[in-house]
Amino acid sequence: MKGEFSMQSVRTLFKLDLLSRFGSTHKRGVKYRILQYSNYLFFVAIYALLIYGIYMLTKMFVTEGGLTTEFLTIAATITLVLATAISTGTVIKNLYQNGDNEMLLRFPVSGKEILVAKTIYCYLHNLIVCFLLMLPFYISFGVVAGARVGDYFAYFGVTLLSTFLPFFIANIIAVPVMKLMNVVKNQFLLVLIITIAVICGIFAFYLTSLGTFLNYLRRESESLFSSGTIQYFKEFAQNAYPFNFYAELVHGGIYNGLSSGQLALRFLYIFLISAVLGVIAYFVCTKEYYKTILYGIETEKASFKKNIKDKQRSVAWALLRREFYLILRSFNYSFQYFAMACAAPVMVFFCNRLAASMGTESLGANIMPGLTLMVIIIFVTIVVSFASTSISREGNCFYHTKIIPVTYTTQTLVKFALYAGVATVSVILSCLVSGIYYTTDAGGHLLSAMDVGAIFCISEILVVSLTSLYMLIDIKSPTFNVGGDGELVSANKNVALAMVVGIAVAILYGVFAMVFSFIPLSIGSWQITAVGGDIGNIYLILSLISLILLGASLSALFVKLNGKYHKIIP
Amino acid sequence: MLKISHLVKTYPKSDRIAVDDISFELRPGEIFGFLGQNGAGKSTTIKCLTGILPFDSGTIEICGYDIQKEPIKAKMHMGYVPDNHSVYEKLTGREYVNYVADLYKVPTDIRTERMDRFAKLFRLEYAIDKQIKSYSHGMKQKICIIAALIHEPKLWVLDEPMMGLDPQSTAEIIAHMREHCAKGNTVFFSSHNLDLVKKLCHRVAIVNEGKLIDLFDLAGNEENKANLEERFFRITGTYEDRLFEDYIAQESADMRPDIPVKENAEEADNKDTEDEAAAEEKIDSAAVVEGSAEAAEAAEGDGQ
Repeated sequence: MKGEFSMQSVRTLFKLDLLSRFGSTHKRGVKYRILQYSNYLFFVAIYALLIYGIYMLTKMFVTEGGLTTEFLTIAATITLVLATAISTGTVIKNLYQNGDNEMLLRFPVSGKEILVAKTIYCYLHNLIVCFLLMLPFYISFGVVAGARVGDYFAYFGVTLLSTFLPFFIANIIAVPVMKLMNVVKNQFLLVLIITIAVICGIFAFYLTSLGTFLNYLRRESESLFSSGTIQYFKEFAQNAYPFNFYAELVHGGIYNGLSSGQLALRFLYIFLISAVLGVIAYFVCTKEYYKTILYGIETEKASFKKNIKDKQRSVAWALLRREFYLILRSFNYSFQYFAMACAAPVMVFFCNRLAASMGTESLGANIMPGLTLMVIIIFVTIVVSFASTSISREGNCFYHTKIIPVTYTTQTLVKFALYAGVATVSVILSCLVSGIYYTTDAGGHLLSAMDVGAIFCISEILVVSLTSLYMLIDIKSPTFNVGGDGELVSANKNVALAMVVGIAVAILYGVFAMVFSFIPLSIGSWQITAVGGDIGNIYLILSLISLILLGASLSALFVKLNGKYHKIIP
Repeated sequence: MLKISHLVKTYPKSDRIAVDDISFELRPGEIFGFLGQNGAGKSTTIKCLTGILPFDSGTIEICGYDIQKEPIKAKMHMGYVPDNHSVYEKLTGREYVNYVADLYKVPTDIRTERMDRFAKLFRLEYAIDKQIKSYSHGMKQKICIIAALIHEPKLWVLDEPMMGLDPQSTAEIIAHMREHCAKGNTVFFSSHNLDLVKKLCHRVAIVNEGKLIDLFDLAGNEENKANLEERFFRITGTYEDRLFEDYIAQESADMRPDIPVKENAEEADNKDTEDEAAAEEKIDSAAVVEGSAEAAEAAEGDGQ
């Protein structure tokens, strides 16, 4: 049965897949529908904004710079790399990690039929992603370059042709990625360390590249399209195989820079590359898919063994230890919390360095303390937003917190201590990194020791305030929506609220400190800041506001906590 | 040991009273059965008395401590086994029991002795150091029971404890319930198994639509024992002569349908031939899977 193949089975499986995704006939309330339509509107608005941005960029490159093929090569490179990344995620998620594999294998269908049915879905997903990513670039190019009607059909064709490369590559790399994921299963600490290193690496690479590029532009007579820059883009377009083939196919339609034979050759190259990758993907998938999903099912419950000695600990320590292990032993949670907390100082450093190099030259060195404060608070928000799922994460085990002979205050305090503690370490490291660099000659003495100390105090008060505020949000409205592994199935609404609040605070604090670092401020006869003067009084005002926020959030969380906690019904 | 007085509980956004003025008292050394249909209010009552759910009115005392006024002292004397067997699956069995023991302040030597004894009793010695997520349904139930008993509570509350357990484990839990009561402690459990309740409980209460309808002795009262099923069926409003007769017949008679022996033998012969062919196929596919099975064993090595 497992070796047979029938298109009828594939059709049935595909229909089943579509039904399970989009076939819900459950009638939702008005509130839900309003939220749903708002989400669609939000998506459309963001996409429209993106298209506008792409159009402006196209105009800049094509009209001002005269860079046509170069622009299209850059566009093809970015969109194809992005589509490959998205497609790889889709393939891994749908083909290998989807929980329905075990259920489908119970039916009289073969592994090949399941593979084909799911592959059709993955390809359609990839098709939509490619069209959404690529068409805005190509159509913008057509509009700016004055393309004929027929050219737009060519763009459509090139986009269709472009869908194969990312899809085949995704299918090839998904298998080794899955095998690697199976190998590192239960190696939590190792995965955490690798994740931190990768996050820091990618972030550092991205911001360093961005900084280098911006510096390069600044050096090149402050113009994006100086002769040096144009030469740089041209060299890139000449060597960016096979992306320049796609660009030349799009480009060829308008300017006829290439002969029909040359265009046909480009088409043949793309076709051959796609065909070769397609054949490799076919053999890799048909050979490995069934084995890989069987292995996944067999090892789904594979766990580790750990011999420990029985030992009595204090109640608080026992609670803290349990919470720590539950976070560490979950890839999702340890990534959201520990990885972000550890990576934050590196991110703060690179963000700050880039912002400083841009901002201090255009606005002056005075903005540096406010900028540092804003960047640190943004990362503090990301780290402590984890506290906004402190109750929700208990999931089906929430009852446990109610039956144990430990006061709700103690339980809350322990979680509070863990979240605020890790965030505090992150803030200390962030301040140290910024302090060490910017109080030296290498950093241009953009920060003083007093600045670093004040930034630390304000950030630390905000760590405590935001942690207690986020925990309160979850106590008031927890969502026990957990999956089979006991982890939250999707981003909690409380996390979104926490992020909005935190980023708003960061922007308000940062902008306040930056603006009044070069605009004099006075209240009555009290001259708070003067032009070029120190911003000690700004720190004082922000500290006072933070202390008020601290008092309010702590009392909101801990006053009458028992009553609020007792009302939570699992 | 446990005293519930005029307990009333209504769920938010619901006009139905889940528990309606229930009162009863449990004595030291007894096993008390709590019966009722699905949705009758058994689990809600248990969740109120364990502190999981707030309630509208009434009082609940555990060993003389009011669950609302002195919750910590009350909970200190209670062990609870939930019906859904939810535990922290990322922890190992030993880590989980140690965690619970820490919360109940059980000294190291005592917890080690109890944990070893219970692990042996429930045949969990080889799994106790493994992560709970790898446990079967029954094993999770057993680790919940061990955690609930690690501090030897005076009141042991179990919500449908025998669901999904193998016969051996059921027998072991029953034996332990009896042992626990022999020490002067009390066991309070809800169940749908009337036969078990009849044999095990000293007293029983039947609830229906949130109300306590009947409470009577079973120990030493043969008439009550004999009438338990009928009383339950009548109280829960499901009594019909035909259904009740069917139930009694199922309890006492052999329900196995007859099999025409000769035809079956022929079919079995044919099936054997088919099975041989299928076995050859299976060997081929097993060779494919073998590699992954070996890897599965390897994955059970030390992780953290």
